[in-house]
Amino acid sequence: MIGKLVFALVATALAPVLGGLISGVDRRITAWLQSRYGPPVLQPFYDVLKLLGKRPMATNIWQVLCAYVYLSAAAVSVFLFFLQTDLLLIFFTLTVGAVFLVMGALASPSPYSQIGGQRELLQMLAYEPLLILVFVAIAMTTGSFKISAVFAMDKPLLYSLPLIFVVLGYALTIKLRKSPFDISTCHHAHQELVRGVLTEYSGPYLAALEIAHWFEVVLMLSICALFWATSVWGMLILVALTYFVEILVDNVMARMTWKWMLRSVLGVGLVLSVLNMLWLYAN
Amino acid sequence: MLDTLVFMVVVVPFLVAGLLYVVRPDGVRKLIVSAMALVLIGSALALLAQGPFLMAVPAAVNELVVLLDFLLLFLILVYSYKWKSRLAVWLTLFQIAALAWLDFGLADHGKAGPAIMADHLSLIMLLVINIVGSFIAIYALGYMKVHEEELALAKSRQPRFFFFFILFFGAMNGLVLSNNLDWMYFFWEITTFCCVMLIAHDHTEIALKNATRALWMNVLGGATFVSGLILIQKVAGTMFLTDLFAMGPMGAGGGALLIPLFLLVFTGFTKSAQPPFESWLCGAMVAPTPVSALLHSSTMVKAGVYMVLRLAPLYAGTFLSSFIAVFGAFCFVATAALAVGQSNGKKVLAYSTISNLALIICCAGLNTPASITAAILLIIFHAVSKGLLFMCVGTIEQKIHSRDIEDMRGLYGVMPKTAVIAIIGVVTMMLPPFGMLLAKWMAVESAMGQFLVIALMAAGSALTVLFWARWAGALLSAPFDAERPEKLPFSVRMPHVVLASLAVLLSVGAPFVYYGLAEPVVAMYYHAQAFTMQYGSFVSSTGMFVVYPLFILLGLGLIFALRAAGRVTPSEIAAPYMCGAQTTVDGKAAFTGPMRTPVVSVSGNYYLDALFGEKKLSHLANSVAIVLLIIMLGGVL
Amino acid sequence: MLEKFINAGRLKSPWIMHFDCGSCNGCDIEVLACLTPLYDIERFGIINVGNPKHADVLLVTGTVNHRNKHVLKNLYDQMPDPKAVIAIGACGLSGGVFREAYNVVGGVDKVIPVDVYVPGCPSRPEAIIDGVVEALERVKVKLGLAG
Repeated sequence: MIGKLVFALVATALAPVLGGLISGVDRRITAWLQSRYGPPVLQPFYDVLKLLGKRPMATNIWQVLCAYVYLSAAAVSVFLFFLQTDLLLIFFTLTVGAVFLVMGALASPSPYSQIGGQRELLQMLAYEPLLILVFVAIAMTTGSFKISAVFAMDKPLLYSLPLIFVVLGYALTIKLRKSPFDISTCHHAHQELVRGVLTEYSGPYLAALEIAHWFEVVLMLSICALFWATSVWGMLILVALTYFVEILVDNVMARMTWKWMLRSVLGVGLVLSVLNMLWLYAN
Repeated sequence: MLDTLVFMVVVVPFLVAGLLYVVRPDGVRKLIVSAMALVLIGSALALLAQGPFLMAVPAAVNELVVLLDFLLLFLILVYSYKWKSRLAVWLTLFQIAALAWLDFGLADHGKAGPAIMADHLSLIMLLVINIVGSFIAIYALGYMKVHEEELALAKSRQPRFFFFFILFFGAMNGLVLSNNLDWMYFFWEITTFCCVMLIAHDHTEIALKNATRALWMNVLGGATFVSGLILIQKVAGTMFLTDLFAMGPMGAGGGALLIPLFLLVFTGFTKSAQPPFESWLCGAMVAPTPVSALLHSSTMVKAGVYMVLRLAPLYAGTFLSSFIAVFGAFCFVATAALAVGQSNGKKVLAYSTISNLALIICCAGLNTPASITAAILLIIFHAVSKGLLFMCVGTIEQKIHSRDIEDMRGLYGVMPKTAVIAIIGVVTMMLPPFGMLLAKWMAVESAMGQFLVIALMAAGSALTVLFWARWAGALLSAPFDAERPEKLPFSVRMPHVVLASLAVLLSVGAPFVYYGLAEPVVAMYYHAQAFTMQYGSFVSSTGMFVVYPLFILLGLGLIFALRAAGRVTPSEIAAPYMCGAQTTVDGKAAFTGPMRTPVVSVSGNYYLDALFGEKKLSHLANSVAIVLLIIMLGGVL
Repeated sequence: MLEKFINAGRLKSPWIMHFDCGSCNGCDIEVLACLTPLYDIERFGIINVGNPKHADVLLVTGTVNHRNKHVLKNLYDQMPDPKAVIAIGACGLSGGVFREAYNVVGGVDKVIPVDVYVPGCPSRPEAIIDGVVEALERVKVKLGLAG
């Protein structure tokens, strides 16, 4: 038990470092795809360090509260993941963070963050059912919602749940704030929305949100890794490939509207999960 | 001792109600209601300490109940006639005839049994009714005073209000303590009558219209109730719940018992306002808010799910059970979607209530130890949080004169304390580690094998998060300002604080709630245990919910965030980004518009009327619900 | 220690916000040209943000007039410290050919303090990038790191 706790604590402490590196590599690959040179791999760390050193500025105190609750909830959900607890519980903890992010955006009277908050809610409406379905599918294959049960499998989950992995890919794209689903905020400033939910956050508070996002990236990719839990190399290759596809999709897709997102994500997600479950039962 | 306690919770409210009808001074009424609240809470706790019991009553009491039952039906008939509801008149006439046949034709009066029974489920209901209800009754004292001042009535109608309000406690306590189904029917009809009278209380046109609708829908439930009773008497030859339980699942009557069970479960659906009957509960929101808090969220509508849950062991493992699960899951999604389309705060609460009741029904239908645990925890936690939220909306409405969520924007600047309490209420409804989410987690995990049910649950819980989160966000949106003092009378403030603390404390004590209340019911139903506790976590074969670690971690996070927020100084507060044209009007964010005139920036939530509009969606929801009910009926026949 | 890291970050991550204060768009196009693969200012960690609250460096092009001077001031005020301002092009420096017009205030420095002036009509992208680098040198001096 103590060993598991220490492992989870260390993993949680390292998660933002890993998340920042992933984000740096992401920016390098994106630049490469756009025939640019791109920033140093450590650039995300420079950005966050700089933000931490800026003078705090907020529109009201609730925003600040919400930013830090979001950060805490993201960290806790990563901790619970590496403690190998319940997938559904991790999902609910992740929701705490997402809800507080939205509440923080809605707490400011800025029109940009208000619209961003509403769109973020629609994004949640799109990915939450999918994530629950993914977790249920995993649980129905392994017999338990516990992550440890996934590691007890002798065959990678991907063999039995290929379509569910695609569904997870949809949720991942939304959660990573990649096109075509970067409708509430993203890493670039969009004309009509500035940066949506992030518009009113600045300095250290923006840094807190960025770190929270790194936690979420690590968590989402770790969930992807569960689909090849039988070997470490398998996990790494699967995650690397998935992430590369995400970057590719981000670069070739235009940003879409929320209506299109709800229709396509829920429609495709539901159909694919039902097909996969039918196939699983037929076997 | 036992009969005194039962007398206290069932008969005394009736007597006190009569007293309140004649007493007019405000001070005396306050005293009586407060004393009554203390007595009810005390007796409920004492009964809990006492544990399960059976109690026989003299035959004379039984005859009195039968007599009163007919009187009540005639009273309902009078009102149905007065409000010109032909449907209600016919349904009531049917009930009178059916009850006469049942009581004088069929019932075996020689066979006496204990008319009163309390098992762990009844005790839980007693706690919910009397503890949550008492605080709402105290809240009603302060609320009704302001309410009548606003209406500027020549003669106070508070005696009439409190007559029905307190009467309801007796009826509800009687309902959950009945072992004789005939008694339960009697109390059921009283709750219907109280409910309808309280909806009509303000005597506006809309109030009367909605009361009429509530009347016929609930009378329909009454008619199916009495039909179910006749069939049970014919098939099983008994009217006592204890006898039915003794027969075990499906009972001696075999499949034939399923028809009356369906009728009784259907009665529960009407009381819990499940689609296609959800319109009466939404209409009931015209009633003064304490009524909505007490009858339409935390207690009376729970009678419906109590019925479904009570009968769960009888229909366990049948076709009916799995269909109840699907029906509940469908209603959970449909009404959550309806809530998304609403900007009226009370209607959001109403739909969310129906949605949660549907989830409880779904859990009852799943009929596993874990799902029944989930259902019981949902009843407890929902009652506290929803009662609290209704009270908050009532208080807010009396201050800002609107119940629209859009008008509650920036409420923190106007009523800081109430806004924070309302946000606590919302957070306990939708986020872990609070009890509602614990129960939802249990519900989803217990539905693991049933993909359809789980897909519906997944969609429903995403919709739930959507409408709660934006409400909480709207409450928070406030300019940085020195807190304005907010004064409320003690009788209004105290119930808010108590229920908010209760919502948080009960969640912290979830393991104790589980062991003390939910686990005995599951043990009684299934002779099995759903969860064990390890390291402060709920553990089952399919998963674990870490209660204490989560509370500690998220609590630390909250403290960390509160400290960070506390360090913010007014000099760090900046206006929102308005493309460089920011300015303020009366402290509200604005931008410099054409001709250098300041324009206040206005934003609103997305209510997605095209997707979740009430008109379109309720037709769809009702049609699907009716089809599901017909399939269910076809199945049992 | 942390301060050292933060200072390193400050020098390596100057996010810019570009405000067109009434330019003929010549300079604006050159500013945007800096983002293209040819110049790729993201190499230096520079990102073009759309919001003063996220920005460290304000790039201003064009003449300041009586109407937009409020906007310029507001934007500058909404940038959290430490921050720097770069005026770009002849108009931004002094008002340019519009200097004598009845509605023109003059250069950017009439309204807000300017750290670096990038001349040109329009300024070349290389000059703009040099300007940002120069602004970083100024920041270094302000932070007491120069030497």
